[in-house]
Amino acid sequence: MEIKLRINQIDFPLSVSPSDTLLKVLRGLGFYGVKEGCDNGECGVCAVLLDGKPVNSCQVLAAQAEGHLIETIEHLGEHPQQGWKSGAGLHPIQQAFLESGAIQCGYCTPAQVLAAKALLEKNPNPSEAEVRQALSGVLCRCTGYLKPVQAVLRAAAYLRGEQLPPIQFGIEESAISVSLPPIEEGLHPPEPNNLPGAATKVMPKVVLSSYSKTYQTVGKPEVKVDAMKLVQGKPAFTADFEMSGMLYAKVLRSPLAHARIKHIDTSRARALPGVAAVLTWQDLPRVAYSTAGQSHPIPGPLDTFSLDNKVRFVGDRVAFVAAESEELAERALNMIEVEYEPLPVLLDSEQAMQPQAVRIHDEPEYVNFGDSDPSRNLAAHIHIDIGDVEKGFAEADYIVEGDYEVPKVQQAHLEPHVALSYWDEDDRLVIRTSTQVPFHARRQLAPVLGLPIKRIRVIKPRIGGGFGGKQEVLIEDVVAHLTIATGRPVFYQMTREEEFIASRSRHPMRIHMKTGVKKDGTITANAMRVLTDTGAYGCHALTVTGNTGHKAMALYVGDGPYRKSPNIQFHADIVYTNHPPAGAYRGYGVPQGFWPVERHMEKIARQLHLDPLEFRLKNALRAGELHPFSTAWSEGREPRPEIIATNGLEECVRQGRAAIGWDQKYGNAEWHQVEDKAYLRRGIGVALVMQGTAIPYLDMGGASIKMNDDGSFNLLIGATDLGTGSDTVLAQMAAEVLGVPVEDILVYSSDTDFTPFDKGAYASSTTYISGAAVVKAAQQVAERIRQRAARLFNQQGENLPVVTAEELTLQDRQVITPDGRSISLEEIALHAIHQEDQEQIMGVASFFSPVSPPPFAAQFAEVTVDIETGMVVVDRLVMAVDGGVIVNPLTASGQIEGGMTQALGYAISEEMVYDEQGRARERDLRQYHILQAHEMPELETIFIETVEPSHPFGVKAVAEIPMDGVAPAVGNAVLDACGVNIDANPITPEKLWRALRSQKQGREV
Amino acid sequence: MIDEYYRPKTLTEALEILQKKAPAAKILAGGTSLRKWRGQNLAVVDLQGLGLDQIESRQTDIVLGAMVTLDQLARLATISNALRKAIELQATFNQRQLATIAGSLVAADGQSTLATAMLALNARFRLFPSQNELTYGEVLAFGNEAIMGQIITEVVIPTQVQLAFEYVGRTPADLPLVCVALARWNSGRIRLALGGWGKAPLLVLDGSGREAAPLAARSAYSQAGDEWASAAYRAEMAALLAKRCLDELDHSTV
Repeated sequence: MEIKLRINQIDFPLSVSPSDTLLKVLRGLGFYGVKEGCDNGECGVCAVLLDGKPVNSCQVLAAQAEGHLIETIEHLGEHPQQGWKSGAGLHPIQQAFLESGAIQCGYCTPAQVLAAKALLEKNPNPSEAEVRQALSGVLCRCTGYLKPVQAVLRAAAYLRGEQLPPIQFGIEESAISVSLPPIEEGLHPPEPNNLPGAATKVMPKVVLSSYSKTYQTVGKPEVKVDAMKLVQGKPAFTADFEMSGMLYAKVLRSPLAHARIKHIDTSRARALPGVAAVLTWQDLPRVAYSTAGQSHPIPGPLDTFSLDNKVRFVGDRVAFVAAESEELAERALNMIEVEYEPLPVLLDSEQAMQPQAVRIHDEPEYVNFGDSDPSRNLAAHIHIDIGDVEKGFAEADYIVEGDYEVPKVQQAHLEPHVALSYWDEDDRLVIRTSTQVPFHARRQLAPVLGLPIKRIRVIKPRIGGGFGGKQEVLIEDVVAHLTIATGRPVFYQMTREEEFIASRSRHPMRIHMKTGVKKDGTITANAMRVLTDTGAYGCHALTVTGNTGHKAMALYVGDGPYRKSPNIQFHADIVYTNHPPAGAYRGYGVPQGFWPVERHMEKIARQLHLDPLEFRLKNALRAGELHPFSTAWSEGREPRPEIIATNGLEECVRQGRAAIGWDQKYGNAEWHQVEDKAYLRRGIGVALVMQGTAIPYLDMGGASIKMNDDGSFNLLIGATDLGTGSDTVLAQMAAEVLGVPVEDILVYSSDTDFTPFDKGAYASSTTYISGAAVVKAAQQVAERIRQRAARLFNQQGENLPVVTAEELTLQDRQVITPDGRSISLEEIALHAIHQEDQEQIMGVASFFSPVSPPPFAAQFAEVTVDIETGMVVVDRLVMAVDGGVIVNPLTASGQIEGGMTQALGYAISEEMVYDEQGRARERDLRQYHILQAHEMPELETIFIETVEPSHPFGVKAVAEIPMDGVAPAVGNAVLDACGVNIDANPITPEKLWRALRSQKQGREV
Repeated sequence: MIDEYYRPKTLTEALEILQKKAPAAKILAGGTSLRKWRGQNLAVVDLQGLGLDQIESRQTDIVLGAMVTLDQLARLATISNALRKAIELQATFNQRQLATIAGSLVAADGQSTLATAMLALNARFRLFPSQNELTYGEVLAFGNEAIMGQIITEVVIPTQVQLAFEYVGRTPADLPLVCVALARWNSGRIRLALGGWGKAPLLVLDGSGREAAPLAARSAYSQAGDEWASAAYRAEMAALLAKRCLDELDHSTV
């Protein structure tokens, strides 16, 4: 049908299908700022303004939009510098988002900006609650909404004509300029001062140590290097690239949890006009591999095939289709006839290793790793003894035992898994994909595709969130096989339903804790026994559960003599079931460990009438001590001893307890009551946590820096910024060494053809590992610059002092002598490239670390519990984190806020449940509820800086640790509120109601 | 698959198109439930050009054009906070800009907070061409058969009624595990509706026996178990929330 749409003040005569959505038409016209996240109106990332109102364009037919004014992000601002053409610059809302650190992955940013515009056009002076309501239609999985909300308030001030100071000169500056500020005690967070615009509350409190140094760029809230393109909605993501002749892929998925494929008839599908290929297991080589994106050799079994004659979970792959359109591919799927032979379904991890259990992996190609044993459905096994737990238990006055459970939950990144592949002009296979691990993907795909590594090129554009879900070679083989089959470009994006039934998730676990403790609170022995459900495949099975022990069981070593010789035991069986496979999810096993450990510690403290904070700190690992697991386990590789160099945990507790008002609330009966609401109770809780920073002796990152004619630098890195801001902090480190502003560092990541190797974005490693590589490369470049500058200075005149390269400093785009003479970097660059002894000034370096310095944190939570319904509302989360030196407090605090928000879902609402046939309950973002902007608790981040000696700038990590403590802190706060222990998260209303009822009945008995 | 799209200029024209047999024609209201039609060959009749987006006060009623959006309704100063809360839980902010009052009620399932509230309020549908009025309860009872061949033009809400709304979910904006809406007229008549479970909200009481409300609620949800919550929990919550609704209205000054 013929329609005319008015988009961004321009009329577009169009020929569309009646079923075309506005989303499809807008993206087809090149308005790539309109993103696709769920295709069902649940996530809001496809929002546009329709007559000034934010609507989800996936829910509007294109024809329906005729006669209305459509506005997309492309109609707002633009880069202020457009060459000879004067540009209008960014819209004030975009500018505010950019300045406030409101952009992480940027996938939802255009929709948030448009929602803000709609609000501010109606209401120029909104309250925070009104802003939250306006943003509530757009889900964000990265930020926790704090900074976007503040950005909208800042934008409102801009639009009212108020003069605003830069963020770095706002109220929090004093907090980062002093060593140890006095701690503000009280029930409420500090109020902002009255400076105009200073109320943009996005900066965390940063407590510096006496070892902290002041730098030009490192430690400053620099704007993200990718923020400009993301806030404009530029085509930066995988799905924003299209090719002529491109086919669309779809995957037929199993309706059964366990079955053998007896017969597949694809003849009808193949005969459908427009279908280019239909592939089944009969068409592909049979190569066993692991989808886990990890270093070589993969520390896990090879138990997966691109397509197999057996399906092992509801959602497992049965066939691939490539067709001229998504609709045709979908129709072709429906024409494939499959005859299944159903097999017994194994869903209970407790049953998996029983002799009568059905065997899930009986394929002869299965490749074992370590103790994996498919005949017993055992994907991995770990047993670690540190010291002698039996001796420790014998020395204890009390033995406290408990059983705990953690659920399967989803990463739920808003950009789905998406990939595009094609043959290039040199007959090399190019795969453009939203991945956290481009180099691992290339290496791991090679045997699966029958291509040598050198004939595969993987390009990673911007990523719309990953959280571990894209540390998986999950769909790249689908497009690659279909490109090989058809010779044509193939595009595949998973639907939101596929994300839920067929991608990866956090491993669910059942955990038994046994702890020996003396009357004075000294822990004498600590044992954890874990049963992990890895689902149908063993991707990350060993390493995720290994981390459960390695991090969570390392924190409490005991006091006194136990510090030097702790008694710790960790035992884990990781078993196959017919659930969808689990995998990597931010935190990587550690949140699963700290739920039982910190719930258990709380119980012990209360049973022994000990102060929960003092009890924890008494037994916690300290600086100078041996990481107890470092000599016992290292992700399936040889362990080597590691001494904890820095540990700011005590200061974390000191700052966190003050910020949340612990001393006024804990044990204060009056505070626990809610006036006029007899059925409500307040509670406060805490959890101490630690994580790791990279994998020692394994994780390696490379960096390459070259100098341009104007004194700017190209920084090429294999590191993958999945929205975290890692490109920015790496640029900051390079800029610091080279004495230039961040804008002079042009970051490119990543492309396996052009950027050095990097293990990818996982294990909280990028700032530390890749950052150190960047520093080393920058130091090489700086040295070349100094050498040439010294030569130029010494040619300036005989009467001037001779200088050596070592004496020169790089600052403000200049090389400066001790007596104050200077040469600009541009002059150095022109001289090097064009004038004399020409050379390309450049540096290439890589880094790996012998240690994995742990970040530490104290997580506090405040809740209100309805003791009649069991509903828990979390009112406040405060996290004090020792992440080493904070390179960028804005991006780092964004990590903490977003992480706490994901972790809050783990605490109270998120879980993936299956019926007795293995069918998922959660299949969309309505059923799998992600917290929205208007239902968030107050979030507060405090950084306690320590200076880690193994890194040139002293950094550790902040990316994963915010996932670890929220759930147990909330669990402990619920206990504080109503005296009930919930040992299986999430703490849902019915679960708590049943526990409260049991407690009541117990009292009555 | 939507094969045909129509935007009629009159109700009569709309009705004629709706008579189409192949492909079957459906009314397109806001479009927020498009997904449920996937896989069907359809013609859609978009009612946006019929001026059905007006809101009027008529005597003791608020009369909402069928195409009034949930956002329009939520912004209406004259509605109660309880109804506003039910609307906000029904759909996200963006969805509320498109979702219409009639479309949301027709497409509602048991988890619909809006439908629960409207059932308690005894909202009425006015139909074209018959000009008949049907209560929402009647439509729920008889299914869409009750309005087959007709177009909802108005949704009528009584104003001389107090409404209380209570909810339990995993988070403050999650789908309800249980929600209860209780409307009370000056005459003492109360209507109690439950939501959170099943294919449609349930009317469990329409009369003057306020003491019976919690018991009726518990009884109505005594079998209301599914994969999200047990029947025992829902039954207890239904009773509890019904009591809270009554208490709230008792303490209300309106």
